[in-house]
Amino acid sequence: MSDINETEFALEVRDVSRTFGARKALNKVSFDLPKGAFLSIFGPNGAGKTTLLRTLSTLTQPSRGSSAKVLGYDVVKDAVELREHIGIISHNSLLYPDLTAQENLEFFAELYCIEHEQERIDELLTAVGLKHRSLDLVRTFSRGMTQRLSIARALLADPEIIFLDEPYSGLDPHAMDILDQLIAQIRDRHTFVMVSHDLEKGLELCSHALILAKGQVVLFKERKDIDKEEFNKVYRETVGLGVS
Amino acid sequence: MARELDYVMTKKPKSEPEQKSGSLNISGWRQFKAILRKDIVIELRTKEMITSMGLYALLVLVIYYIALSNAGSNFETQRIAAGLLFLAIVFTSMLGLNRSLVHEVDQGCLEALLLSPIDRPIIFFGKAVGNLIFLLIVEVFVTPLFYFIFLSSAKMQNSGPVWMVAIALVVGSIGIAGVGTLLATMSVNTKGKDFMLSVMFIPIMFPLLLAVVAAASQAIMGDPGYVKVFWQMIAAATAYDALMIGASFALYEFILEA
Repeated sequence: MSDINETEFALEVRDVSRTFGARKALNKVSFDLPKGAFLSIFGPNGAGKTTLLRTLSTLTQPSRGSSAKVLGYDVVKDAVELREHIGIISHNSLLYPDLTAQENLEFFAELYCIEHEQERIDELLTAVGLKHRSLDLVRTFSRGMTQRLSIARALLADPEIIFLDEPYSGLDPHAMDILDQLIAQIRDRHTFVMVSHDLEKGLELCSHALILAKGQVVLFKERKDIDKEEFNKVYRETVGLGVS
Repeated sequence: MARELDYVMTKKPKSEPEQKSGSLNISGWRQFKAILRKDIVIELRTKEMITSMGLYALLVLVIYYIALSNAGSNFETQRIAAGLLFLAIVFTSMLGLNRSLVHEVDQGCLEALLLSPIDRPIIFFGKAVGNLIFLLIVEVFVTPLFYFIFLSSAKMQNSGPVWMVAIALVVGSIGIAGVGTLLATMSVNTKGKDFMLSVMFIPIMFPLLLAVVAAASQAIMGDPGYVKVFWQMIAAATAYDALMIGASFALYEFILEA
């Protein structure tokens, strides 16, 4: 466990592969990401972005011979411990439409066994501007409000790393602005890993960028080392490579 | 709002000294209660499962009534009553089992459950106990109605006490809810999930249904020596429940990861 506390990397990914039948969704993916970084993962549909995110968040097990550590925790051997430190915001809300905002947060607070849960829920509902709607069913919320509640859910246990799976998908410009603000406020205290199709938004937010194609890493660089035109060119060529 | 979120994320949670050692104070009991309470709250609000299961059971009873009305006055309904009762309950339970997992899949809620620091068997027990409660609620309404319609006029001087039938129903329901929850989890992400559940459900549940129908039938008929046979069948059904629910408990993590 001492390794877990001392590691300087949020992600240590070594030769991670994952096959579905004959198809290789991930093929020997390797990279390291320091703590506090914001990684944007780009790639065409079917490139393996979501599989990589699911692997890192313990939802999908990598194939044998792979090694992936998140915050020093092995994604297979230490999965239960690792889940205490992960938050996820997806294009799906991951919320129960037939529960109120308050009930949804209470449910997830119970799953994480958070102490003083009501205080924490009140703080987060106030923070995302939904305190006045706390007793309303989530199915009555707009997409933007649902996404804000998703953020509150993801932050309940104060996770160290937050996975974002196309979080801007389906949001109107106003809701996108609100999500930008919320991410900006917690940016410096968390590590972020975001899957995105939006090159502009992804590059604007990230400290590191990664392009996947056919399940392989085509580019992994710090944002400061990236020339936007060159990046766009690499991405266009990558899309041309098609899927894995 | 910006200032407030900043405050929330910089303020240390009160439980942080304990948490910084690397983990939250995870309690499986607390997580189990949360899943069960959530399912009950959603069901009380939507009434999806109980309403559909209740209406379906009522429809089955109506069809039984029509069929048995044409069977003639010499037909002894009590000879097949246990089988009819369990047939209605098995069909009804399959409706509910599918529904119980569908709302987990909507909006990716099952993924949110899987991303939380919870042992997978706790999810299994939470869902299975919820399904058992809903099934028992439906049985509480259906069984007296069944007795009233089909058995009130039957000659049942020798039949055993009603609580014996109730025991058979509870033991059967425990197995149906337990194994059914596992099978519904397996089938929920398949294309024809209703079909898949039925295909897997009947063969796997056959030994249990054989035992509980025989036990309930003995109690209703009250043939000589029925008490001994009743308890033998209940023992067999209980052993099946223990074995299969134990296996479901052990397999649930594998099924969810698959």
